[in-house]
Amino acid sequence: MSGKGAMPAARRLESRHWFGKSCAGALLGFGLAVALSGLFAWLSPGGVEGNGGKTQFNMWLISPIWAGVLCFVFLFRDSLRAWLWLGAANLAAFGLLGAIRLVMG
Amino acid sequence: MKIRNDIIKVYKDVHIWVGIISGLMLFIAFYAGAITMFEKPLERWATPPSALAPPPPIERTEALLQAVFASHPQAAKHYLVVVRPSAEAPARVIWREPGKTRREFTEYGASFAADGSLQVEKLAKAPVAQLVDTLHQLVGLPFPDAVARQIMGAVALMYAVALVSGLIIVLPTLVKDFLALRIGKNIKRMWMDVHNALGIVSLPFHLVMALTSVVFAFHTPFYAVQEKVVYPHGLPWGQHEPAPLPGPDEYPLPADALLRSVEAQLPGFEVYSFIFREDQGQLEASVTGLDVRHGTRGRTQASTHLNPYTGEVDPHDLPGRMESWDAAVNAFFMLHFGSYGGNAMRWLYLVMGLAGALLFYTGNLLWIESRRRKQRDGLVPAQKRSAQVLGCLTVGVSLGCVIGISATLAATKWLPGRVDDVALWHQGLYYAFFAAAVAWAFARGAARGADELLRLAALASLLVPLGSLAGVWGIGGTWNHPGAGFAVDAVALAAVPVFLMLARYTRKRMADGHTDSVWSTAGGSADPAAEGADARAVT
Repeated sequence: MSGKGAMPAARRLESRHWFGKSCAGALLGFGLAVALSGLFAWLSPGGVEGNGGKTQFNMWLISPIWAGVLCFVFLFRDSLRAWLWLGAANLAAFGLLGAIRLVMG
Repeated sequence: MKIRNDIIKVYKDVHIWVGIISGLMLFIAFYAGAITMFEKPLERWATPPSALAPPPPIERTEALLQAVFASHPQAAKHYLVVVRPSAEAPARVIWREPGKTRREFTEYGASFAADGSLQVEKLAKAPVAQLVDTLHQLVGLPFPDAVARQIMGAVALMYAVALVSGLIIVLPTLVKDFLALRIGKNIKRMWMDVHNALGIVSLPFHLVMALTSVVFAFHTPFYAVQEKVVYPHGLPWGQHEPAPLPGPDEYPLPADALLRSVEAQLPGFEVYSFIFREDQGQLEASVTGLDVRHGTRGRTQASTHLNPYTGEVDPHDLPGRMESWDAAVNAFFMLHFGSYGGNAMRWLYLVMGLAGALLFYTGNLLWIESRRRKQRDGLVPAQKRSAQVLGCLTVGVSLGCVIGISATLAATKWLPGRVDDVALWHQGLYYAFFAAAVAWAFARGAARGADELLRLAALASLLVPLGSLAGVWGIGGTWNHPGAGFAVDAVALAAVPVFLMLARYTRKRMADGHTDSVWSTAGGSADPAAEGADARAVT
């Protein structure tokens, strides 16, 4: 979790934050994938009460999003930033999903 | 493309670690998966001949069904009419009797003997093709499905990370080094070139495999979470109109009429079988088969509903006639299974699968090579313990998988009739050879172990066609189905010189290559005592 405090601008990426970043990617990446797949389910053509084919498609979407977050989570400068940014993204995506469910449901 | 050095460094570390953890399991998944491309021919090759009389023509199916239902009334609940009976489905009519659990069942087949009497046989479809498929699906882990599948899913995620991190590492030098194969003194450079070329060329294939495997592992929890979080009224599976009730004068059409009807409605669709289920006096049917012009979400066939009273096909489950969402999902499955484009594509997938196995193997070689302790002042240092262990593990696990599959395939033609539980024996043989190979690699060191295990792999593969050859003369209960499965024997035979050649190269490297390497008998001893004797001089 330890960033390097107030270092100058050119802070270099380091491998030692791997554990915290991996956990953020695995947990929050999954959450984000579920929320985004939910947004897709509601907002894409056919809507949320679609047929079985769309239900499957929505489920398949989780895999590339989750894997994508897990792949690029190491670009965050440190674990804390990974947790905070991905946490914020989760809040935003789930918030939006909740709002849409309220309005459209 | 320019990428900051520190980003490359981080992703190098990520790539190395996910690679080391998942590489050997992925090797097994890809080697077994490549073989699974020919699951059906393998099953046919491996199934002992049936004692049933040749199946009656399809026009006599109704008579056979009446005879079966008269003596085995439970068969009417769920039965199958095979259009072209073959070695692995040798009867015109096949039915299942439930076993202890829901997944356990016994299959029976029926025919008419020469004197017109009913013959019933418990079918003995070979389990060995399923074993190879299970090894593929569970990345070779001998754990219960529920445990191994979760691990497979985690491995698939790591595999996706390995692909992207590997891509990030090579991007800056991609244009310069792409397809450059610098074969020569610098062995690390050479393996790096091979590894990169394989990875870049087959990247789309690998991305497909990684992302689909994540779904294959986790679809149940994915659905469960989405049901709670996304959908207001549970998972919408769409409404299927219940089949119209048959009128009082409507009777199921005979199989030959159904076949003619389906062939007229679905030109180009080769019908394999009709499946019937009885539900409260009403018969429900589906038809299975394949139109090679369309990929399927099933590994080897497609299936769709059929009205057995009218012969009318409901084509909405058939590739090429699906709605768009279903067609997209169908594409995900078919890209994983290679179930499009017929046998040409299956061979291509087999090659891609073996290339994938090689990708993971070369990845491990690179790890070892980059940790080599180099010779200085004429002293050959002992290699690092970690490099030795990974060398032994890489050789033992990959060749153990290769030998295990060859050995269990070589036993195929000898097991039936000798043992009760053929499936258990196949599994036991695989894991016995696998474990022995890993132990052998550690006992003998990576270099000697690789040489000896490669020769054992050649021997085990040679025994595969010998079983079929014995079957030509019917020695010891073996068999050989003429025509069918010849490719299985041919491929096993072709693998023999490949393994021997690899063994020869390994010996050559042991003798002539660098001595400061785990691939030299000097530096590569797995003897723990060598760890202490850091500066063992070899001249």
